[in-house]
Amino acid sequence: MSDTSPFDHRPDSELGDALRSALSAPDDAGFARRVVAAADAELGVGAGPYWQVLGAWARPALVAAMLVIALAGFWLGVALQRAPVAAGNGVALGDPLTAADTERLDVPVLLAGDESPPSVDAVMAVALEY
Amino acid sequence: MKDAELAALAQAGDREAFGELVRRYAAQARRLARAVLEDPDDADDAAQDGFLAALRHLGRYDPDRPFGPWLLRIVANAASDRRRRRRVRRAGQIPPTLAAPEPAPDAVTDRQGFREALLAALGTLPERQRMAAVLFDVEGYTHREIAEVLDVPEGTVRSDVYHARQALRERLDAWKDWRESE
Repeated sequence: MSDTSPFDHRPDSELGDALRSALSAPDDAGFARRVVAAADAELGVGAGPYWQVLGAWARPALVAAMLVIALAGFWLGVALQRAPVAAGNGVALGDPLTAADTERLDVPVLLAGDESPPSVDAVMAVALEY
Repeated sequence: MKDAELAALAQAGDREAFGELVRRYAAQARRLARAVLEDPDDADDAAQDGFLAALRHLGRYDPDRPFGPWLLRIVANAASDRRRRRRVRRAGQIPPTLAAPEPAPDAVTDRQGFREALLAALGTLPERQRMAAVLFDVEGYTHREIAEVLDVPEGTVRSDVYHARQALRERLDAWKDWRESE
């Protein structure tokens, strides 16, 4: 020790050995394994190059795409099956008009239901009703 | 295979290449972290954090420069961060004088005692001086490389190494005197 100056630009081998002995921890190989395992877990290092990652995802992605297409086809089929039925019933747009027409047709029937002219009460009742 | 080649492979996702880099620098990284953190488990955690951070940022590594200083800079930062967090957590719990007790002179009675005394002496030094001494005298890095690791001018590294050596040599010489007197 005494033959080495603190200003020396060379490493102090004796001090270096003492520090190495004091600071070194056992089982560097085990430590390296733990670090690699942590990298695998956190960063997916073990997954390999990107084409391997993409390749691994290809099959699940195809299955998912087929499922989506099948569901979309089923939904479309159901929608097409219901569309003509709805049109046949004339529910959507025609209802109020049809209902109004039907009721208007009732008035002459009511008033002209008899051979004799309707009474004033009947005419008034129909007028009040509308 | 060169470090730069391994780094390029590791960046592309080669697990074996990363493992080889870890094996090459595990001992250095652990010693550097141990110089900063008293607790060996903390030191290993910091070294591991450093390796994982290095892996995440391998894209920033310049393959024309040596890999060791680049990696050890990340490990040094990880160790310093961990030490800072520990200090904040322990503040108010343990008085600083008790956190790093000086061993009594008569406790230095064997190799283990000397090791503890040397670590205690190291613990009294400022963090940057500890790292400078370890990187220079243990790992054999140049002042310029250490300046890169510690992100300080080269002259600062020389000064740090000088002061650290002075303090550590006092401890080492005292132990040698004791051993010779036995």
